[in-house]
Amino acid sequence: MREPAIVANGVTVRFRPLLDRKPTLRRSLGRLQHRETDEIVAIDDVDLEIRKGEAFGIVGRNGAGKSTFLRVMAKTLRPDEGTINVYGKTSTLLQLGVGFNNQLSGRRNVYLGGLAAGLRKREIEEQFDDIVTYAGLWDAIDRPVRTYSTGMFARLAFSVGMAIKPNILLLDEVLAVGDEAFRTKSMETMKALLEKAGTIVFVSHSLVSVTEFCQRAAWMENGRIVSLGPALDVVNQYRADVERVRRESRDKSGS
Amino acid sequence: MASLTLAVKRRFSVSRDYLQDLWGRREFVWYLAMGNLKARNASTALGLLWWVLNPVLLGAVYWFVFGLLFDRDPSDYGGPFLIYLLSGMFPFYFTQSSMTGGVNSIVGNTSLLANLHFPRAVLPIAALVEGFVGFLTSIVAFFLIVGPGYGRWPGFSIVWLIPAVTIHLVFNLGLSMTVARLAVPFRDLNNLVPYLTRMWLYLSPILYGQATINRAPGWARAIAAANPMAPILRMYRYALAGIPADMSNAIIAAGTWAVAVFVLGTIWFISYEGKMARYL
Repeated sequence: MREPAIVANGVTVRFRPLLDRKPTLRRSLGRLQHRETDEIVAIDDVDLEIRKGEAFGIVGRNGAGKSTFLRVMAKTLRPDEGTINVYGKTSTLLQLGVGFNNQLSGRRNVYLGGLAAGLRKREIEEQFDDIVTYAGLWDAIDRPVRTYSTGMFARLAFSVGMAIKPNILLLDEVLAVGDEAFRTKSMETMKALLEKAGTIVFVSHSLVSVTEFCQRAAWMENGRIVSLGPALDVVNQYRADVERVRRESRDKSGS
Repeated sequence: MASLTLAVKRRFSVSRDYLQDLWGRREFVWYLAMGNLKARNASTALGLLWWVLNPVLLGAVYWFVFGLLFDRDPSDYGGPFLIYLLSGMFPFYFTQSSMTGGVNSIVGNTSLLANLHFPRAVLPIAALVEGFVGFLTSIVAFFLIVGPGYGRWPGFSIVWLIPAVTIHLVFNLGLSMTVARLAVPFRDLNNLVPYLTRMWLYLSPILYGQATINRAPGWARAIAAANPMAPILRMYRYALAGIPADMSNAIIAAGTWAVAVFVLGTIWFISYEGKMARYL
């Protein structure tokens, strides 16, 4: 068996969001001392091992804890309980264009995004031409990013995100925005990453891309992993469950 | 007792790794600060000039109200009122912008915090750097105003700017970290800061001088004596305008304030970092 890339042991994350109730003066003043909160267990005692060289998919309904789990892997969220070990350099594409400033030129944002992701300025300078060529943006690089189309923005952001040469790529549903040519190109880049024993963790609602791209997958429900195994099996179980719930609700409304 | 010390230590510790990590991110700090500086005024016609214009125009308003409409005793200011006013106004504006920048530095950057792992102190420091660049330009503007107007050009006393600016930077950084940390669970601070800084402006010897303070009742004199801005401004007034001051006294008072605010603010901020993402 391959070496582990990400190991989660009993990871638990709780949120205590403020309740959004109708504001009254008494409640507003009361909030200064005692805030009305509600505890939500976003991830509930999850164990998981993701290995080097594999593309791993996470499927599940909205609010199942998929994105929260990715944020734990990205180390932006410290678990309340349990441990997470990540072996390798991680690039996080949970959202495209993190660190970008829309008012500034594409050139400036390559530096901003690269520095935010942890690169040195010199490293960005060396790769600058490659980044822009990959994104196919030579004629627009000095224009403010706010004038870019969604696809141009996504290409530049992905290109910058790959510039840190990650071993581990954490992807949310972000690559669905580019055009066909870009999707093919980014897919090739990710396959090359896998061949070099890299790891990709992929959260998606597009079940087809999970089965096509990932070897293994996990299905999350209410912060727990309810099924883990070969991607196709897990996706089929999940699909069957979605279908069952839909049928039940249709029957209920029908009778 | 031992367990208490241990608990305190665990809660308020700043590791060497953290500081090394932070130092490794200095280019990020610079690009962030310059990017914000540029972006903020990208759509205005005057652009970066607003960094100078904002305090100058504010100074002009106060000069009109307190210098022209009210009759003032010139001995209160150690010279022309405008010089006294601007040499206090510009440094105060730097502290003010450090606070307004700091209070937004964490809560205004949620996408960075949610997605990337880096020492969070980068953000309030970048806000400080942004304000500092503006402050340096306003010092140049100061001499461009009082030079031709009053023949007051930089003299030998300008070397005192070095300790003054150093102490002021340390003080502002501590303040910026404190408000950045506090704004995460207490978002209301965002609305409060403009009033707090305005109050602080009036409580500081900017529009009035020592003679006015001496005539004030005891409680007001006590507030004036406890105000960290007072010794900071005394250092600047001597350095920029040669207005006589007991410099060693001012440096000790301002330096003590700066170190205290910096140490407490920084430790408080850093020990809270792990929890920040949860509130966003």
